[in-house]
Amino acid sequence: MTESQKSDVVILGIETSCDETSAAVLLNGRDLRSHVISSQITTHQKYGGVVPEIASREHSLHFQPVVQQALDEARLSFRDLSAIAVTYGPGLVGSLLVGVSGAKAMAYAAGVPLIGINHLEAHIYANFLEHQDLKFPLLALLVSGGHTHLILLEAHGQYKVLGHTRDDAAGEALDKVARTLGLGYPGGPQIQRIAQEGNAQAFNFPRAMLEPGSLDFSFSGMKSAVLNALNSARMRGETLSVPDIAASFQQAVVDVLVRKTLHAIKETRVKTLLLAGGVAANRLLRETLDQKLAEKGVCLVYPSPVFCTDNGAMIATAGYYHYLKGDFAPWTLNAIPGLGLV
Amino acid sequence: MKYLTIDTTTKVTAVALGEDKRLVGEGFLNTTKTHSERIIPMLDQLLKAADWTLQELNMIGVVRGPGSFTGIRIGIATAQGLAQVLKLPLIAVVSLDALAWAGKGRMEDVVPILDARKNEWYTARYNWTRGAEKAACLTSPQAMPIDKWLEYLKRLDRSICFVGDAAEKAKGRIEEVLGERAVILPEYISLPRGAYAVSAVWQRWQETGEGERVEPYYIRFSEAEVNWAKKEEARRSEGHE
Ligand SMILES: [Zn+2]
Repeated sequence: MTESQKSDVVILGIETSCDETSAAVLLNGRDLRSHVISSQITTHQKYGGVVPEIASREHSLHFQPVVQQALDEARLSFRDLSAIAVTYGPGLVGSLLVGVSGAKAMAYAAGVPLIGINHLEAHIYANFLEHQDLKFPLLALLVSGGHTHLILLEAHGQYKVLGHTRDDAAGEALDKVARTLGLGYPGGPQIQRIAQEGNAQAFNFPRAMLEPGSLDFSFSGMKSAVLNALNSARMRGETLSVPDIAASFQQAVVDVLVRKTLHAIKETRVKTLLLAGGVAANRLLRETLDQKLAEKGVCLVYPSPVFCTDNGAMIATAGYYHYLKGDFAPWTLNAIPGLGLV
Repeated sequence: MKYLTIDTTTKVTAVALGEDKRLVGEGFLNTTKTHSERIIPMLDQLLKAADWTLQELNMIGVVRGPGSFTGIRIGIATAQGLAQVLKLPLIAVVSLDALAWAGKGRMEDVVPILDARKNEWYTARYNWTRGAEKAACLTSPQAMPIDKWLEYLKRLDRSICFVGDAAEKAKGRIEEVLGERAVILPEYISLPRGAYAVSAVWQRWQETGEGERVEPYYIRFSEAEVNWAKKEEARRSEGHE
């Protein structure tokens, strides 16, 4: 070994669950030696969203070069690895299978353990990469294109789902509204961009809070309210301001996320909130939470933007904690597209 | 020269060990479990049974399609993963070429047919001349509507030997069109087997003598691409009017 010591824990993390092919090499859970992300966003753009079969085809072409580049940049070889960690769900089954099959073969040939990683868990663990001393219990708000979860972490690997979306995920609702507004894919960043020029008070879209005390979410009604406003304006022969709609809808989504989160904090009395998932990169959400939590003396932690979207570094980070516990996967590991957190 | 081969282009998981032109061992599983669950355990068992180690291998062979899109990718990802770690050359062969070995020595034309759904087969036509090193490919691989392909074969006025995962199911339909000129081999011969992959991979290795960058061979575009192209075409022809 050249760049690492025998006692080091070196994890290769691999992510192929949706539209990013990514690999990272992580030393001792903190020291990110390399991080390669091959994004398919431009490939899927003309279809207005991720096409599963095309995503799988892209992973198949990019998987091996991405892994090799990650090792080369880390100046390490397969022999230096302690384990290989790979996402096995949730996600698109065809995409997951490329990563799972490749990772399995690599681990088997290299004679190192295989670690199966839950993609949702990995999003949360992206926070552990950059923040050294997080103390349990922790509350996590996981918001992405596929998920909206409030999760209590009691210890490493111990999760309690306090609330989740009953219909659309927050990111999904943002994507759909962006598409309706002709803003293209991916919707979240587009809405955020155009919302800057709009008035967030222009429209009062409903904030679905569900029954009192519930920590669940519902975004499909809010999304429908936007579509209804657009339709009735069209009937009247009016056109609505796209920036105003984007700003008002973004505000409504953030309001719900923040209110539910504050409620969960009050109930659990945790002192630290972890923000995770693609929507965690949303500036309005971060700033609003930052301000509200500061008032309550709760610490807000979130990953750098590059670790919010799907990436191999978060897989390697989650893999590191599994490695410490000796929590390895059998060679029969399969992709589980609907894998839940608990 | 020692190598292993992987074929997961149909529901069958087929792995094999070869040494030069000789088949050393093979694993064949035609159950409901997925390739992903079976493939590494099967390879591991096979290597142990043969008393071979991964480190003894000199090459990895894989069948790259056509067939099940997901199966193709599992096979290639596995083969690439092994080859990458072990620093071995990778050799890829076409599923239909490999299946042509099921009809080695037959006088009839050999026609592999693989279920391509949508009432189509992935198919090609081969012929083994006496003493030949490999089958001659007379009609190159394609996705063909079943009826159209059978009519085409009928017009050739030759005897045809069918192999492949679609053969057993289509027996009645084939015999209806081709009558006595059709020979349908039993499944234990006609499903993809490690033995065929070993033959095809060894053949290809002798032709190329070196590893290659392997990409899936789907034949078909994805549905989304096809629909998008149709829409584009419609848009363009509207523009011309
Ligand atoms: Zn994700």
